[in-house]
Amino acid sequence: MREPLTMRLLLARLLPAAAVLCAVMLVCALVGTERVSLARAMGLADAGTGYDYEILFRIRLPRVVLAAIVGAALACSGAVLQALLRNPLADPYILGISSGAGLGTIIAVISGVQWTLLGRSPIAVFAFAGALGTVWLVWLIGRLTGRRQVTHLLLAGVVVNAFFSAMIMFLTSIANSSQVHATLFWLMGNIMEEDPLVLWISGGFVLSGIVALFFMAPSLNAVSFGEADARAMGVNTGLVQAGAFAVAALITAVAVSLSGLVGFAGLIVPHGVRLVFGPDHRQLLPLSSVMGAIFLVLADTLARMVVAPAQLPVGVVTALVGGPFFLVLLVRYSRRVDWLTR
Amino acid sequence: MRIFGSKWLWFAVFAAVWTAAGYVLFAGGSTGRDTALVRAPERIVAAAPALTEILYALGLGERVVGVTTYSNYPPEAKDKRVIGTFWQPDIEAVVATRPDLVVTEAFDQQAHLAERLRRLGYCTLSVDVWSVAQLYEAIERIGAVTGKGAEAAALLARVQGNICHVSAQAKGERPKVLYVIQTDPLRVAGRQTFIDELIELAGGQNAMGPTVQKYPPIGAEQVIGSRPDVIIAPEMAGVQPEALKQYFARYQSVPAVANGRVYVIAGDTVSRLGPRIDEAVQTIAACLRLEAPGSD
Repeated sequence: MREPLTMRLLLARLLPAAAVLCAVMLVCALVGTERVSLARAMGLADAGTGYDYEILFRIRLPRVVLAAIVGAALACSGAVLQALLRNPLADPYILGISSGAGLGTIIAVISGVQWTLLGRSPIAVFAFAGALGTVWLVWLIGRLTGRRQVTHLLLAGVVVNAFFSAMIMFLTSIANSSQVHATLFWLMGNIMEEDPLVLWISGGFVLSGIVALFFMAPSLNAVSFGEADARAMGVNTGLVQAGAFAVAALITAVAVSLSGLVGFAGLIVPHGVRLVFGPDHRQLLPLSSVMGAIFLVLADTLARMVVAPAQLPVGVVTALVGGPFFLVLLVRYSRRVDWLTR
Repeated sequence: MRIFGSKWLWFAVFAAVWTAAGYVLFAGGSTGRDTALVRAPERIVAAAPALTEILYALGLGERVVGVTTYSNYPPEAKDKRVIGTFWQPDIEAVVATRPDLVVTEAFDQQAHLAERLRRLGYCTLSVDVWSVAQLYEAIERIGAVTGKGAEAAALLARVQGNICHVSAQAKGERPKVLYVIQTDPLRVAGRQTFIDELIELAGGQNAMGPTVQKYPPIGAEQVIGSRPDVIIAPEMAGVQPEALKQYFARYQSVPAVANGRVYVIAGDTVSRLGPRIDEAVQTIAACLRLEAPGSD
């Protein structure tokens, strides 16, 4: 039995993690295929021009920040879905977000629409809409089968996922090669630098989502014991489920519209944090978010350096690096905790 | 109702303030300069092998400072700095070449690169290169933007002259050509491709009828049904001439197979829509004229 979680303990773990995140982001912004000097970039900062400034502040930093936002969103939402579905295999995409967003993307690519919404490309807009639309559909089907059954929701998600994946494959098979390529890179997760305003707003969105989920953490703790127990403890399970699902789906959709389908981060980061620090959601959610951000920033830095000057899709790196790392954690810590609760 | 209390109000207020702050801080980010305003650029990046070829053909080889991984023609281009692949260009590498003009193709991924560069204030030129007519137009536009209008006109006159020459030599029945892109699974060039145009210009006709896909995957039935007189595969499809003949050996009812007219041709000129398409047309025309088997 570990010591009970206090505010003090939480901060003692969260603040160093946040400090590490800042350090990792700084270091990752300084390494890359081109050599840049921070001093020179700062010296020219007021001029707003110059090689170092441009690469460091207008290409790398936005990219690193984007990776951090996406990683935090995916890891937090993964932790929430694992709790809600009471299934260790759950990840942010399990309820159809990935295939819905993928379908939106390929429709955007094939139809060749050119308009933008609030400065976002049609791919991002369609992916966002597809993701939310699919989650809504799955949720609706889940409710139709009976509101107390998490299993039904899970099954509906899996089947909708399979159906939309088939539609993606159908559209891919009739698309031409450049369209297929554009979609393929997106499906493997593709992080690029973004407009600062887009980063600011989606960052704020994800951050408020994470904070909102943090406030639901006590109820999530109860729900992860099982719904009957949670109700006995006086938790309004329907409300918690609907609220947490909605917020998790929203921040995942934001992440997906920014970066495509970055796999694995949302699955292994929450598990890793749970293995090392324990399953209390008040701690799991914020720590997962920070760890997810660190993980994806590192993975993306590798993705842009390993085969330079070409780039790997970041989803490849998350699985290649994250998989073995997670297995080490699993073997090292699994005796200490049971999967979801206790 | 602890979750849905007044916290939501605070979130709404926070979101509004946050968004407003974002607009105050970041709105009106720099927009790119219009390409039409650049004249005689000195440092040019070409984001596709075909574009590299066009720049060299216009006599701009000296000014090219960045190319993509598979830019292998002319051979000098291989010594230029590589800025990534056609599909995955590295924007840092592009910026590091300090270009004053970046030429890209106009479809999604390349257009996205151009858009990101414009956001940083770089000049870009995006051209569509899907059909022969678009290629001619692209050469003209690149010539105009780089101040090489006369060279572009001369290049076009030469290429079009060569192609006319080949087309004029074609006589009699137009042989039906099956153009193989890959063998496993079998995919061929359909009607809406520039390869179809090249076949027409060389004096042949595409054995495939209209299809949904540009490069449709086909089955044995269509191979037999299309009754090609000639089967051509580019080298880069990764097949050896003997292997290709063996692959098609089971279709003895197909005229091309029965008469031994299955050819493998050098890949780059034919697979790449660039200023060497006159050579591509000549290569295809040579295959069409060869009567005896095994001459390739």
